[in-house]
Amino acid sequence: MFDFLSLHPFLATALAASIVASLAGGMMGSYIVAKRIVFLSGSISHAVLGGMGFFLWLKRVYAVSWANPIVGALISAVISAMLLSWIHNKYRAREDTLIAALWSTGMAIGVVFTALTPGYNVELTNFLFGNILWATSGDVALLGLLDLALLTGVLCFHKRFLTICFDEEQAHMQGIAVQPLYTLLLCMIAVSIVLLIQVVGAILVIAILTIPAAIASMLSNRLSKIMVIASGIGCLFSTSGVIISYELNWPPGATIALIAALCYLLSLLNYPMSKTRKIWTFRFRQSVKE
Amino acid sequence: MSNSKAPLAIDIEAVCLSYGDVSILENVSLSVKEREFLAIFGPNGGGKTTLLKVLLGFVKPEHGRVEIFGRPPAEARELIGYVPQILRFDRQFPISVLEIVLMGCVSKTTLWGTYPRDFKTRALEVLALVGMEEFASQSFGTLSGGQLQRVLLARALMGNPQLLILDEPIASVDQAAKEEIYRILLELKTKTTIIMVTHDLQSILQKCDRLLCVQRQATFMAPEQICEHFAWGLYHLPSAPPQSR
Repeated sequence: MFDFLSLHPFLATALAASIVASLAGGMMGSYIVAKRIVFLSGSISHAVLGGMGFFLWLKRVYAVSWANPIVGALISAVISAMLLSWIHNKYRAREDTLIAALWSTGMAIGVVFTALTPGYNVELTNFLFGNILWATSGDVALLGLLDLALLTGVLCFHKRFLTICFDEEQAHMQGIAVQPLYTLLLCMIAVSIVLLIQVVGAILVIAILTIPAAIASMLSNRLSKIMVIASGIGCLFSTSGVIISYELNWPPGATIALIAALCYLLSLLNYPMSKTRKIWTFRFRQSVKE
Repeated sequence: MSNSKAPLAIDIEAVCLSYGDVSILENVSLSVKEREFLAIFGPNGGGKTTLLKVLLGFVKPEHGRVEIFGRPPAEARELIGYVPQILRFDRQFPISVLEIVLMGCVSKTTLWGTYPRDFKTRALEVLALVGMEEFASQSFGTLSGGQLQRVLLARALMGNPQLLILDEPIASVDQAAKEEIYRILLELKTKTTIIMVTHDLQSILQKCDRLLCVQRQATFMAPEQICEHFAWGLYHLPSAPPQSR
C-alpha cells in the first residue's frame, strides 16, 4: 500500500515533517482557540513575511550565507509576538486595530524586499503557499527539537497558561507575572507558526493551526485533552493531505487546508445537535436529583 | 477604647482617583473591622468597582492611603479572596470545575507545573463547603449561574483568605441560588471579613453589619437608614445623620 514511500524517499521525509509540525500545531492551536486569539495568530503568520523577505534580500543581494529565510521568519515571528504582548498590556482598547496594523506592516515589508530581490523568488513562493516536499531530514530534526522545546514549555507552564487564558485578573491576584507569561505563550505560538509554515505556507497556516483544535474542542471540555486530540487530528490531516496531493498532483499545503476545512464543516454540522443534547441531558439529570 | 485598638481589615484614608478628567472617587475614607460584613451599593458608574480595584491593588489612587491588614494592597493579596462577576467569563472555555478551583493557588505549582498532592484534597474540601463537590469534573459551560458563582467562591476560598471581596455575586442568579450564597457567606462571616458589592438591598439588609453607599464619595449607613427609594435605584444621602467611619 505504501510502496510509493520506498519509490520516493522525499515523501517519507515530508510525512515525518508534517507529523512533527502537526504536534506543535495541536498544542499551541488549542491555546489559540480557547483564548480566542485567532486574529492575533493570523497577524503573526502574515508578519513573518517581513523577516523572510528581508533575509532573502540579504542572501541574494549581499550574499550573506547565514541569512536563511526561515531564520528571518522565526525572528520576525518572535518580535511580532513580543510587540503583540506589549500592545495587549498597554493598548487593550485598541488591540484589534493594532493587530491589523502589524499584520499589514509585516506583509508590506515582505513585499518591498521581495521586489528589491533580483531573480524569481521560488523560495518565497514556497513559504507563502508551503511545500512540504522540499523538507530535508535536517529540517525534520530541527522541527523535532523545536517540538520538544514547546512540549517542555507546555508541561511546565500549562496551569499558569490556563489561568491567564481563562482569567488574567485571577492570575494577577495570585501574584503571577502575567505580562512575561503571556509574552512566552505568544512566542511559543510564533515558533509553532513558523514550524507549520514549512508544511502549509504562511497564507494557509492559520487553518491547520486552529481547525484541529476547534474540532477537538467539540470532543472534550479539558484543554489538556483538546491538545492531545488536536495533535492527533492535525497529524491525520497533514499525512492524508500529503498522500492525496501526491496521488492527485495537487499542492500539498492547499490539499491539507482543504481536508481540514471539509472535516471542520462536517463536524460543525453534527456539533450543535450533540452539544445541545448533552447540556440539556445534564441539566435534566440535575433537576431530577434536586 | 478597646474598639479603637481592634485590628482593622481595611483602612482607607482620603483616597482620590480619576480617569482622565472624570473624577471617580473623591476623598473616600473608610475602615472595616475584622470579621465584619460590609455591603457596598450605589448607582452604576458611582465608583464601586473602582473602589474594589483599589482594595485589590489593581489601581493605585492618586492621593490617599490604603491598607489591608496594615499592608499596602499589592502586598496583602495572599490574604484576599476575590469573586468577580460571572458575566465576563467565556462559557465556551474548555475547563472543568476542579481546574477553576485549583486556580485559586496556581502560584504554588511546582517547578514541573503540577499542583502539590494535598491541593486536590483542599479543592474538593472547599467545593464541599459550597455544596459543589459532585460537580468537580463537570465542564464550566454546563453550570447554571448560581452554581458557577459558588465555584468562583470556592476558588476564592482555596487560599484561606482573611478578606473576601465579592463583586455582585447574586446578580443574574435565581432566588434559591441567592439564598444558598447568603447561607455560605454567613457561615464564612465567623472567621472572614466580607466586602460585597450588591444592588439587592432588600436581601442584604438583614445579613450585613453595615452598608456603604458609593457615589464618588463613600457614605456609611446603618440598615435602618436605607430608604425604599434605594431599591428603585434612586440613591441619595440618608435623612438621618450618617455614621462615622
